Amino acid sequence: MKVDSYRIVLTGLGGQGLVSLLQILGNALKIEGYKVMTSETHGLSQRGGKVTCFLSFGNKLLAPIPMIGTADMIIALEESTILDVLNFAKPDKSTNLIISTYEKHEIEKDYPSLEYLLDALYEISENIYFIPAHEVAVKSLGNLKTMNIVILGYILKFLPIKRDVIETAIKENFLGKRFEMNLKALSEGQKLISKNF
Amino acid sequence: MNYNKIVSGKAGTEKFFLGNEAIVRGAIESGIDIYTFYPGTPSSEVGENFMEIFREAGMRWVEYSINEKVAIEVAGAAYARGAKAMVGMKNVGLNVASDPLFALATTRPKNENSAMVILVADDPQQYSSAVEMDSRYFLKIFKIPALEPSNPQECLEFTKEAFNISKELKLPVILRTVTMISHARSNVVIGEIKTSGIEENFDLSKEVNVASRVYFLELKEDQIYNRLKRALEMSENSSLNRIVNENSKNPYDLGIITSGVSYSYTNEALDFFELEAPILKIGFINPLPERKIAEFLRNFKQIFVIEENDTFLETQILAIAQKNRFNVKIHGKDPFSYSKENTLLPMVGELNPTKVALALVKVLNLKPRIDLRQINKKYNLMARQAILCAGCPHRATGYALQKAIKKIKLKTGKDIYFYQDIGCYTLLALPPFSFANVKYCMGSSIALAQGVARTSVSLNIAIIGDGTFFHSGIPALINGIYNNTPILVLLLDNGWIGMTGQQPNPGSDTRYYKEGSTKEAINLEDFLHGTGANISTINHYEKDDEKYISNLTKLIFEKGVDVIENRKLNVILIRDECIQKTIKREAPTIRYVNPELCNNCGLCYNKLMCPAIDSKEEFAFIDRNLCLGCGICEEICPNNAIEKEEPK
Repeated sequence: MKVDSYRIVLTGLGGQGLVSLLQILGNALKIEGYKVMTSETHGLSQRGGKVTCFLSFGNKLLAPIPMIGTADMIIALEESTILDVLNFAKPDKSTNLIISTYEKHEIEKDYPSLEYLLDALYEISENIYFIPAHEVAVKSLGNLKTMNIVILGYILKFLPIKRDVIETAIKENFLGKRFEMNLKALSEGQKLISKNF
Repeated sequence: MNYNKIVSGKAGTEKFFLGNEAIVRGAIESGIDIYTFYPGTPSSEVGENFMEIFREAGMRWVEYSINEKVAIEVAGAAYARGAKAMVGMKNVGLNVASDPLFALATTRPKNENSAMVILVADDPQQYSSAVEMDSRYFLKIFKIPALEPSNPQECLEFTKEAFNISKELKLPVILRTVTMISHARSNVVIGEIKTSGIEENFDLSKEVNVASRVYFLELKEDQIYNRLKRALEMSENSSLNRIVNENSKNPYDLGIITSGVSYSYTNEALDFFELEAPILKIGFINPLPERKIAEFLRNFKQIFVIEENDTFLETQILAIAQKNRFNVKIHGKDPFSYSKENTLLPMVGELNPTKVALALVKVLNLKPRIDLRQINKKYNLMARQAILCAGCPHRATGYALQKAIKKIKLKTGKDIYFYQDIGCYTLLALPPFSFANVKYCMGSSIALAQGVARTSVSLNIAIIGDGTFFHSGIPALINGIYNNTPILVLLLDNGWIGMTGQQPNPGSDTRYYKEGSTKEAINLEDFLHGTGANISTINHYEKDDEKYISNLTKLIFEKGVDVIENRKLNVILIRDECIQKTIKREAPTIRYVNPELCNNCGLCYNKLMCPAIDSKEEFAFIDRNLCLGCGICEEICPNNAIEKEEPK
């Protein structure tokens, strides 16, 4: 599969490893021969609030921020945060929505109800995938922080990246023990592909 | 982080670089000798990378300077002596560096090798800044050339070109980026690393200007304007100013002029409408290529100037059109509209492709295939605010301060005001703490407190971190001590420049950072004693101090009362370490809630607002995946329901 242009929106909370996910994914696509453009979030905006990053790739260099209504995939590492970026989804309902079912509530604030969330999502897309990435990360790997790589394993299903290429990219990001751990997380994520969500 | 990737690889290799990493690579491909900087988002990674690789890259020196003024002076003198020098800062850093830069811009090094590049990274949308500031107007004041890249590959190439231009003209050259360029990561083809041509022998007396007034004016005429004239010729002939899609046609007789990140947004928006237009892409942004722009304007009935923030390009393009009496309609923000309603593109905030597309709809009367106003569609989403990290030492300070001021008010009946500074502790301005009345810029809190203390009988409390104190808080403290101004200064010493990524400052523990072994740490406590101020110190390095919060509360209370009753300036030095740094060395002692003792009073989760503490059903709940073991919740729990988890 060769892709002309593909746009991904990634969202979640500061500290969830969005930037690592972005770097590994981007690097792998670069190795696969694509022109890749990503935008990372650093500094104060990482502290706990919502974080949104972008990744576009294809046969020519795209902008660090895409147009609304043009994303091929939207990934949310925290469930409710997807609501903030739904306007990037395509009007033909084809955008893949990848949602980690991890919920981070805050004291004395109303978390969006599942009904509200589902109504919003079904109006936007016909391709919605809820991934219990945090459960896999904690139960199988004993480390919540690997949630981002579990998701990475799952989305390989949609992307033109070979397994050895993604391993190389992970190796360039994580050294030693953390590399082993994240490789396991990747495999756990890939295992989820055969399941239906 | 894998820093080696910056120096490794043969010429022609394709890397996956952050804009900021590409800048570092461009500099070492230019034979840079010295880089000095003060960290600030979005410029910080440039310095971090240099710090890791500079010896391997054959550079002479890299330093975290104490502030941007000192950074530019150190680099500026190295440049005058014959070095290839570079200095880096964020937008507001240029304000701090501006004083020496005026003089520096008139200096004319005679050394063949001399070249100087000033990296200025703007932060549209002020993601991590106290103000949104378009630094481009400084270019007109300083009268120096500037380049603006539009992607990471250009970051590398433009850095090299900036060194070339500076070497040729003997003028410093500004390399201007914005967040979405500095923090964009993309394919970057690298070139050959070069070593500097710097010579050991030089005669400084021949290189330096002694600025008597007459001589200075002479310099200005001769050196600045003559060099700018040459810069203009370079800009006219530079391939950095080029027409893209020159032969493309559109039914609107439209041409576009843009630069930097706006160029990529423009392309994204044009693609969306499947529209083509010739684009004059400006990479050499000062001085603008007047003839090239005039030649471009001549060919169109309509021109759309697409730029972020101020009307830097547009104002000058309007002047060029008028000078040539061109009958061309120039669309843009209109420098004189000063109004949200009448402008095609926003004057404030970050630009993006959708905003450009919306403007194109208005200019060309297009019918978009989707409703672009969706950009403003909002779902009913739980609002989240930025929050101090779990385990952050500032949380304990905030909690103790809150308790102490209640007691001070009760005892003295005085009003209390707070002056914030620039750092993570700025978040103490938000709930549940809400300590903020005034905040200006780096290092200002201590002086702001003095202004109100001198004109009222209230208690005025400055809150400042160690990094910011070293940066520019020290003169204000000395001012207060010397003038005997009754204020309370809380110096929140977490050992690092926390917000921008835990870079070291002069007080940092030299054991725990790269290059630390070459540094002399400055003991903040000794330093403060040397000023003669009334200093109290409290430490929280040992996390098992069960009375830390109550001791800190008592200390703030006593010193606050002392300021009011004895009209004395007091400094409280609160020492702990940025948790992000601690957890890199030590496994935290995680806390948990014992449900048998917890009566769900809510004190921990309501008053600390720690990301690791939540309430679940009938109890408080600590997420062991998030807890970093500061132990503050354990101390404040009235029911002793929070306990230490046994280490595994």
